[in-house]
Amino acid sequence: MSDVATIPARRPGPRAWAALVAAEAKMVMRDTSGLVIPFGLPLLVLVMNGLSSRDADDLAGYSVFEGYVLPVALTMVVAVIGVVNMPSFLAYYRRSKVLRRLAVTPANPGMILVAQVVVSLAQSMVGVALGVGAAMLFFDVGLPANLGTALAVFGLAALSMYAVGMFVAAVAPSGNAAVAIGLSLFFAFGATGGMFGPTEVLPGPIAVIGEALPFGAAVKAFGAAWIGADLNPAHLIAMVVAIAVSSAVAVAAFRWD
Amino acid sequence: MRRRRRAPVPEVMGAIRDLSDRRAPGPIPTVEGTTTEGVPLPAIEIVNLRKRYGDTVAVEDVSLSVEAGEIFGVLGRNGAGKTTTVETVAGLRRPDGGTVRVFGIDPQRDRRRLRQVLGVQLQETALHAALTVRELMRLHRSFYRDGADPDELVERVGLTGQRRTRFEALSGGQQQRLNIALALLGRPRAVILDELTTGLDPEARRQMWGAVERLREGGVTVLLVSHHMEEVERLCDRVALLDSGRVAAVDSPAGLVAGAGLEQVVRLKAAAAFDLAVLEAVEEARSVRAVGDQVVVTGSGNLLHAVSAALVRAEVVVLDTRFERASLEDAFLALTGSAFDDETSER
Repeated sequence: MSDVATIPARRPGPRAWAALVAAEAKMVMRDTSGLVIPFGLPLLVLVMNGLSSRDADDLAGYSVFEGYVLPVALTMVVAVIGVVNMPSFLAYYRRSKVLRRLAVTPANPGMILVAQVVVSLAQSMVGVALGVGAAMLFFDVGLPANLGTALAVFGLAALSMYAVGMFVAAVAPSGNAAVAIGLSLFFAFGATGGMFGPTEVLPGPIAVIGEALPFGAAVKAFGAAWIGADLNPAHLIAMVVAIAVSSAVAVAAFRWD
Repeated sequence: MRRRRRAPVPEVMGAIRDLSDRRAPGPIPTVEGTTTEGVPLPAIEIVNLRKRYGDTVAVEDVSLSVEAGEIFGVLGRNGAGKTTTVETVAGLRRPDGGTVRVFGIDPQRDRRRLRQVLGVQLQETALHAALTVRELMRLHRSFYRDGADPDELVERVGLTGQRRTRFEALSGGQQQRLNIALALLGRPRAVILDELTTGLDPEARRQMWGAVERLREGGVTVLLVSHHMEEVERLCDRVALLDSGRVAAVDSPAGLVAGAGLEQVVRLKAAAAFDLAVLEAVEEARSVRAVGDQVVVTGSGNLLHAVSAALVRAEVVVLDTRFERASLEDAFLALTGSAFDDETSER
């Protein structure tokens, strides 16, 4: 009866995906203040600790720097980007109705979420490479004993932080609120997970909680992978649980406008 | 030739009407949609649309038919249901009742097809703040397989000088113009423009109007939501007046004014006093009064002409004549029974 059938129902192709990822990359790179903490803070932690605690050499031939300081710094990179930076972009996109504007084009606003995750992952990799590079260059650190395990732990840690980030983006009403919620979570995770000193000095129950949260779990798992110790499955399970719970809440609570 | 208007459109506020056939091939080569009787399929058809949010009824019962190639205005107070109606057409809201079709497409069921034929500029939306005009145009162009040339569109909306400017650094008017350019990137057959010129200065507003008039020349159907009476009078072929979620009237702007049955007023100053009976005898005049040194005649029909003729016959020398015809705003008041800016009945 009409020409409806002749109108193509087209999905955006690979070119659209590439353009969206490039757009998110530009947004992230032009947000200069958002680059300082994920890249600068872990490097600072590495350098300050590296200058003071290099001789401690009591982890089966590895230093505390390799078994603890470096894992904390790498986890910080992934956590800041996943829990603070990424949700602040997503919440801002919703608040300022960028997502709504995208919803009236052939692109799906969900595509922007995926593009943001891809860019954040790339950003995390750059941050981790910087940290590891600096450690190898200045503090005589080698590659992880179990490189494959370390990479897998990086992937799992990143996923768990992004899941928490999606939860933050889902509940935060604005970009500012997302930064506030994200930073609070980041510091709570960090304080209980070893960011301000080994968890051994924390009161017992708090240390246990800290290790069950994705930050503490990632630090322990990274440390084990680096010095070639056995991974504690509890830490992997903790990260998987964080992924499951956060994504479920995020999916239930996420609003497009 | 297809029938384009329900009522003849006389000159409205000096706007030059292009009365030639505006039929133009759609951007996607297709057979023109027709029903089995061969009557042109409307570009946008809304039948008995109903939408409520919780206890608030946003749209009670709206039926509209927008013909291909026309600029169709949706006019009404805040809360009258304008935005809900067009957002339903855009596929952003699911109607509680009634049907909506855009070139025969159901916006809820067939959103991918809808996006190929309908461009949308929404109220109060933003774009990636740190991207430049050029980057945003290229990004959105990548969403369509076939479409317009981004640089050419940027030039058409007058943003060539701002191509390297970030979205956040653009003025309100420039952001709006960019939004329109983005809505046109996929060479849509119809566009929704929601509160196009709200918040713009008069100069920017006139530029936008020029851009919309050029759309019509290109055969694009325009659904224009507006608050602005002058805008609607100048641009729209037909207007739907929405009031409390219902259609109060649909006509050309001039037809709405005529249909409201409002009086015309002629004010004149004569060189010397004359017998007002000369004017009282004019059939079109309803009242004739002397107010100071002026004579005020109210009436209907071709009042100005009738008054002038009577004065010439009576050899009255007139120094100054002013003619006031009801505006669309007056018609709005008459048709909805309340002031346009009265927002107390909202929500």
